[in-house]
Amino acid sequence: MLLNVYLKSLRDSKKSIIYYSIGTMVLGLYVTLFYPTIRDSTGLTDFLEQLPEAMLAFIGDADTYTTAEGFLNAEVFGFMGPMIFGVFAIIAGAGAIAGEEESHSLDQLLANPISRKNVLLQKAAALITGLFLLSISLWIGIIVGARIAGFSLSLTGTLQAIFSLWLLGGTLGLIALAIGASTGKKSLAGGLTAAVGIIGFLLDTFLSVVDALDPFKFISVFYYFNGNDVIINGINPLHSLAMVAILVIAMAIAVWRFESRDLKN
Amino acid sequence: MSNTAVISAKNLSKFYGKHRGISDVNLDIDKGEIFGLLGPNGAGKTTCIRILLDFIRATSGSATILGMDSRSKSVEIRRNVGYLPGDFITYEKLTAEELLQYFANLRGGHLEKAKVLAERFDLDLSRKIGELSRGNRQKVGIIQAFMSDPKLLILDEPTTGLDPLLQQEFHALVLEEAESGKTLFISSHVLPEVEIVCDRVGIIRAGSIIAVEEVATLRKQTLTKIAIEFGEVVSKADFESVTGVREVTIKGHHLSCSVTGSLDSLIKLAAEYTVVNIQAGHPALEEVFLNFYNQQDTTTE
Repeated sequence: MLLNVYLKSLRDSKKSIIYYSIGTMVLGLYVTLFYPTIRDSTGLTDFLEQLPEAMLAFIGDADTYTTAEGFLNAEVFGFMGPMIFGVFAIIAGAGAIAGEEESHSLDQLLANPISRKNVLLQKAAALITGLFLLSISLWIGIIVGARIAGFSLSLTGTLQAIFSLWLLGGTLGLIALAIGASTGKKSLAGGLTAAVGIIGFLLDTFLSVVDALDPFKFISVFYYFNGNDVIINGINPLHSLAMVAILVIAMAIAVWRFESRDLKN
Repeated sequence: MSNTAVISAKNLSKFYGKHRGISDVNLDIDKGEIFGLLGPNGAGKTTCIRILLDFIRATSGSATILGMDSRSKSVEIRRNVGYLPGDFITYEKLTAEELLQYFANLRGGHLEKAKVLAERFDLDLSRKIGELSRGNRQKVGIIQAFMSDPKLLILDEPTTGLDPLLQQEFHALVLEEAESGKTLFISSHVLPEVEIVCDRVGIIRAGSIIAVEEVATLRKQTLTKIAIEFGEVVSKADFESVTGVREVTIKGHHLSCSVTGSLDSLIKLAAEYTVVNIQAGHPALEEVFLNFYNQQDTTTE
């Protein structure tokens, strides 16, 4: 695990990856095991139909609770999933370069024959790999839970939604990595990226019912993540491409800034 | 730049906003040399070193290391350079051996020499870096700097935190490495350290190199305080006429004076009398440096 920066980074975040993966697997299991109870409860649909639209935007409409995909869309991909993936990615991204710089280990790492760009890319790859393991665990949790609970689920829809979640985590993580690598400031990187995530979430979830704010959904990374309810409607390749584009731009800025600035002692 | 220059800095300047880091530093360090960069804290030693290693970028000027541009060929340069800062800080959760293995992997090397050095410096490689004392942590730093047999070693206040015995062992290592053809660039604010190991010394002060001298030359200019007790009264004029002797005072049978360079003529003259006792003040480079500083002061102020 000490062959290169990529493996060393994975080794450093081993515990964190394991805990978060347990978290995503438990989330998948919990939601799927809980679903039949909700589905079979009478009166819920009637109750939901009485609620105002703004309320439904948050907790979901009747379809949400009468199909497995709708339920997972609300309970896994609506809030908990993005939060777990987001928190993991932002912490890992903010610490990747800025964390090493603040703990004064970066000088010694870069005294070895390895370019800054190379270090940055390997750390980014480790972050993406960590998120991939979280995704796998979530997928296992959902599949196993659905099997136990005895209902069928769109396999491709679930995979596509998890893929989109992986991209969301990658986007937030690499934005944090880019801000950290550009400034050397871990808390700034974490804070700013958290703001990007939270504002994006609010724009997409709550404000989408405010017509005047509807155009602003395009600036929210959450719109590209799950604006079209991926698990139900399938992935929108353009939305995925938009996230990939943000991710690539973040990396390009990170390499440019990190290569050209002075390292802090 | 001479053909054999391992480090060649031309008009290197670094400003942090309006604050001066270094200004117009010129250096030429030859292959096989042990060069000391001597100066008080805050003089710009670390700034110089961090520019050479491409951790920070010069505001103006340029440097070549092993004939390569310090900026564009930085990775290739670092393949041939070992670096040790005064306070070696690295991954605390790794054991010393894991860290050395990691760095060896990044360098495409192995741990053979590291293990020999660990034995020599009596370091337990199985302990976590975070659990090591400052001195032991510094030993890990020494080992990682030397283990890949780099052509050039850049050592920034390397013996900070080492006890005197280890300092001695470290100095022995430095001399051995130079003998095997390596070049060493050592910064220090400790004069005896430079005096023990270095061939040449550059004195840096307030960001500028104010003098570069061979240690042997500096020694020649070194003042030695001599006090001699004679068995009889001696002639002051005789002693004042000896080359290099100054500030002769005589009280009864006691003579004291300062001597620049060799003591030979003074001792031969003294031997014509009955000598009861001789005391010599240890020749200190410090005084020579203070002379340099003072001269600098009188010319600038």
